Amino acid sequence: MIVEMKNIRKQFDGQEILKDISFGVDSGEVVSIIGPSGSGKSTLLRCATFLETIDGGEILYMGKKAAHTDASGKTQYVSHKELREFRSYCGLVFQQFNLFPHYSVLKNLTDAPVEVQGRRRQDAEETAMELLRKMGIADKADAYPYQLSGGQQQRVAIARALAMRPEILFFDEPTSALDPELTGEVLRVIRQLAEEKMTMVVVTHEMAFARAVSSRVIFMDGGVIVEQGEPDEVFGNPRMERTKQFLRVFER
Amino acid sequence: MTLSTMLSTMAAGMLRTSLIFVLTLVGSLPLGMAVALLKKSRFAAVRGIVRVFISVMRGTPLMLQLLVWYFGPYYLFRWSIRGWRFPALILGFILNYAAYFAEIYRGGIESMPVGQYEAAEVLGYTRSQTFLRIILPQVIKRIMPSITNEVITLVKDTSLAFTLAYQEVFSLAKQISASQTSFMPFVIAGVFYFVANYLVAFAMERIEKMMDYYR
Repeated sequence: MIVEMKNIRKQFDGQEILKDISFGVDSGEVVSIIGPSGSGKSTLLRCATFLETIDGGEILYMGKKAAHTDASGKTQYVSHKELREFRSYCGLVFQQFNLFPHYSVLKNLTDAPVEVQGRRRQDAEETAMELLRKMGIADKADAYPYQLSGGQQQRVAIARALAMRPEILFFDEPTSALDPELTGEVLRVIRQLAEEKMTMVVVTHEMAFARAVSSRVIFMDGGVIVEQGEPDEVFGNPRMERTKQFLRVFER
Repeated sequence: MTLSTMLSTMAAGMLRTSLIFVLTLVGSLPLGMAVALLKKSRFAAVRGIVRVFISVMRGTPLMLQLLVWYFGPYYLFRWSIRGWRFPALILGFILNYAAYFAEIYRGGIESMPVGQYEAAEVLGYTRSQTFLRIILPQVIKRIMPSITNEVITLVKDTSLAFTLAYQEVFSLAKQISASQTSFMPFVIAGVFYFVANYLVAFAMERIEKMMDYYR
């Protein structure tokens, strides 16, 4: 297992967003998380990538504990320093890209590898160019984010995450901020990564994409996992009434 | 007094004015950043002190503050204030401008979208790396117009040094005008301030242009 989240609980202002959620991701898996807004999908990703702290449960990466709830019921995280190691296992692609606007595309991809991971600049640049070629935007290496379309920016963001060589890549609604005609180019890149057996968790509203690309689909609602399984099962023959109801909206 | 002696006397005053200007910026630009960061301190006491400092600095006239810094040591502690005139002047200017700059920095820092912090955090940047590499460069670009405003105000505020009878260009203009019963010194001073600000505006615009490569 690359990541394991056990009995995760999270609340904001007394409102429970995640209610005892458990899930794990194996190497090479592509997991799609679907569900209505407010179901806790994004919060789950943010907990997994340490942007939010959990109120209860356990997070493990590569079998190592990053956080757990102790006997007294308090949730303990590893030290700041150790947490940085855990952060290096996971990458996150945001809905809003969050590229660094003052850095060129190339610098967006090389700055963290050089400054955080201490890689040699030349190596980092080679890796970056390779990734940009893969994303089909090698000609944009010297451009600045504002000069790119949304789809191109998101592909840069994916490349930036990959440049850190994470074990697992999380996507938080990667196409939700894009015009419909630009979602295709981003989904194509994710599909290509799936074919290369990159371990990924994708929160998405793109049902056709989730069905075609994932090895497993998780349907979340109200802070719990309602149903999960192979995409053809969940989409073709959902067992839970709530899942059927949710999917029906997308069929129209 | 001939025009040329008038000019050369006042040129010395301009030099002193420039000295106040440069020293104030050199001191208050970094100090303002320190004040802005302390205002977000973990410790409530530190935040409280900073808040009082800023509101006093902004809430009282700079002229009054200069008088307090200069005469305060004598009236409070009966210390000799010989040689204290120029240090008091610079101290007063630096502290006052640091308060204004701190508020500009704070506004700039708070205007940064949270996504920038989150992206940096996920990539493993430390807090200081995040601030110095990701946040600060963007903040500087954002606050440049406000900084320009403040710097132009400073050029004119240097004339408040006359309160402590420091012989900068405005003090000299008043003295020479009175002794020579001439309007000329004021014209010269006016031209000086105008040209100085023209240069400041020009320089600041160049700096803003340098940061125009991204949006």
